[in-house]
Amino acid sequence: MSAPEFSKNIGHILVVGGCGFLGHHIVDMLVGRHSESTISVLDLRTNSNRNPSPQVSYHEGDITDECAMGALFAKLKPDIVIHTASPHAMAKDDVLYKVNVDGTKALLKAAQENAVKAFVYTSSASVVFNWDTGLINADERWPIIAGKKQKEYYTSTKAWAEVAVLEANRKPASFLTCAIRPAGIFGEGDVQTLPNIVVIGQRGSARYQLGPNENLFDFTYVKNIAHGHLLAANALVATHAMAPTVPLDSEKVDGEAFFITNDSPVYFWDFMRTVWKHAGVQIPMKKVWAFSPEFSLLVASLSEWYAWFKGQKPALTRERAKYSYMTRYYSVDKARLRLGYKPLVGLEEGIKRGVADVLETQKQEAEKKSQ
Amino acid sequence: MPKASDIAYYLLRPKQVRSIIQWKVWHQPVHERNPDKEEPTLRQCFTYLDLTSRSFSAVIQELHPELLVPVCLFYLVLRGLDTIEDDMTIPLERKEPLLRNFRANMKQDGWTFDGSGPDEKDRELLVHFDCVIAEYKKVKPEYREIIDDITQRMADGMADYANNAEHSVNGVDTVKDYERYCHYVAGLVGEGLTRLFVKSELANPALLERPHLHESMGQFLQQVNIIRDIREDLEDKRRFWPKEVWSKYVTNFEDLLKPENEEKALHCSSEMVLIALSRADQCLFYLAGLKEQSVFNFCAIPQAMAIATLELCFRNPDLFKRNIKISKGDACKLMWESTQNVRLVYDVFRRYVRYIHEKNEPSDPHYMQISIACGRIEQFIETIFPSQQPPEQSSALSREQEDSAQRESREAMWDVFYMFLAVFGVLLVITALMTGVAYLFGARFGAVADALRARRQAALAGVSSAKAEATQVVQEHGEL
Repeated sequence: MSAPEFSKNIGHILVVGGCGFLGHHIVDMLVGRHSESTISVLDLRTNSNRNPSPQVSYHEGDITDECAMGALFAKLKPDIVIHTASPHAMAKDDVLYKVNVDGTKALLKAAQENAVKAFVYTSSASVVFNWDTGLINADERWPIIAGKKQKEYYTSTKAWAEVAVLEANRKPASFLTCAIRPAGIFGEGDVQTLPNIVVIGQRGSARYQLGPNENLFDFTYVKNIAHGHLLAANALVATHAMAPTVPLDSEKVDGEAFFITNDSPVYFWDFMRTVWKHAGVQIPMKKVWAFSPEFSLLVASLSEWYAWFKGQKPALTRERAKYSYMTRYYSVDKARLRLGYKPLVGLEEGIKRGVADVLETQKQEAEKKSQ
Repeated sequence: MPKASDIAYYLLRPKQVRSIIQWKVWHQPVHERNPDKEEPTLRQCFTYLDLTSRSFSAVIQELHPELLVPVCLFYLVLRGLDTIEDDMTIPLERKEPLLRNFRANMKQDGWTFDGSGPDEKDRELLVHFDCVIAEYKKVKPEYREIIDDITQRMADGMADYANNAEHSVNGVDTVKDYERYCHYVAGLVGEGLTRLFVKSELANPALLERPHLHESMGQFLQQVNIIRDIREDLEDKRRFWPKEVWSKYVTNFEDLLKPENEEKALHCSSEMVLIALSRADQCLFYLAGLKEQSVFNFCAIPQAMAIATLELCFRNPDLFKRNIKISKGDACKLMWESTQNVRLVYDVFRRYVRYIHEKNEPSDPHYMQISIACGRIEQFIETIFPSQQPPEQSSALSREQEDSAQRESREAMWDVFYMFLAVFGVLLVITALMTGVAYLFGARFGAVADALRARRQAALAGVSSAKAEATQVVQEHGEL
């Protein structure tokens, strides 16, 4: 499939968090697609994941610093802001709130005051997930779950930031915003999903399965998510250009949130096994031990206690166990219809690339250690 | 007399027996044909229908009266065409004009054909084809037009295929060729039937606006048959599996049957299963567009059988060793389930999709793709019959809102507490006041307590005396 034609210059784009996992893929894709656009990257530190193109300039800064953001925006005068910056989900609560909510609000304010046209925010597909009930083909009609009902504080702060972004839409009338909610991100540069799964396989745990593996799950290759962001930015710019005409409610992108997945939910453990397969670990199904959900929870509790007793991080937590037999997949019809979204890279190809990257990193680390 | 092995088989499988009995006893045809009112030539046609079709005869005979005869004749015409195409004893230079002129011959009263090979199982149909022609003339012209059109296109497609020497030697080349072949022999049937359904107003006309749906109906059935019949076809020296697929696993098609190639053959078959499986969601979509029950049954039964057969073939080494088919009990259960409503047929598909998923093996090169195909079918079913609805909005949309909501609920709790405190406080004060007033007016609380105690003792005593009284009364009455 060839990607649709994109204009070489869609204006000055500022990618916040552009040295992060998702952010740098967005920068790379922007460079490839909009070769005449100016691209600025704002990140806390900008020494990793840099794109060598002269199109891209790097700026260090803290998004929670309202004054600094105002000054930076006044200097750069970006047309488009893609905001993907976020701390690690395991960070402390006050850090999460400060960066995700206060930081996003500071960026919104700076953008509103400096005539930014389009603001795309990276939210999360978990904002409608309560970690207890599965999601079956959920779409954007599902309400966000934040605060008391949301077990993960990280997700609460992502949800609140998303609400703030969407509320800022058309304030002023020329400022357009939208949110992208990716589900289960993985790919090159991933430090969480794939490396963890690969290590589990390498440790010999690939022969265990928690739950009956009937749960469909969305995993999304990072470049498809980057593609979703670029489509959203382009759509907002197009909406901006047609002002004062306002798009139909059924077609509008501004003020809207969009789930982005690989549009191919698969059974949770099938994904795991495909990762292991490409990492060179293969266990025939007749040698796999499938635990019932109840037993899995018991094992997870034991693992938690054991870790507590030894003062370590548990290898398996109850949350993780639950996650692996829970159904969690979304419909991407809205993104398909309004953004023209279609995944560029299939699930297996994404896994292949991601696992190759994990193995390469492992090799480099091993070499470093042996030196 | 049933064979002893059959009896043993069913004794061990009561569920199968139950399904068979359930189908035989409880299945009620939506419509029944009435042979007494039929012309002898039509009765003859139905006899040939029984003879030539094992699976379709029963469902055709239960069709809505409007379509009963047109569909029966449509089937016989295509069967006649197929018999000529299949016949390896007819030389190509004779076969080609026979196929291309088949439609013209159908307009000729009394046309028959006795040139089929002696082993051709359906040669009798062609020998007595005049009865089909006699009845076909009576069919409504709008239906005849559809049947004519499909017959001609199929005949031309078959002639082209037969003409292509490459095919008759090596079988089908690319996946595209394979799908083209399936289009001529099955996709076109799907089109013809859909046009008949819509013309007779028994199906949603929207089905014709989405031609890929009826194409998939035909493709799915045909592809499943081609997968299942690999051995049988190979014995007849025919190869329908595309070379593009099998050449990835073996050098000669026949090598698929060799025991040492078992794993490779399984991988090859799972690629074939994958191609077929990617049609399933469109078949399900099609079924949702049928309105009339007998038309629905007619379409749904073969589809349900096909998904079950596909599951049977998936990663099954027996596929290459012997002819396999689904058990009679399963077939009856499937027929029962696919003659009720769309939802139940979707459940059948989901069930078999899960079986396929369970048999999936990570070492298979199509492991992930099969998983994705299964997931797609499950997701499609969810879009038509969602099992989950969006819950009510109940979360705070910001931390400030969350905090103020919490503050409010805390305040509300205290409000309730204060309210109770006030009510009980007032009651307490009033009680105290009343008691005080009563005391001031000279009430003797000690005496009240004594009186109460006395009354209780009296009451206790009263119970026993009442018993004595009752006995006395009974005795007195007894004396009367």
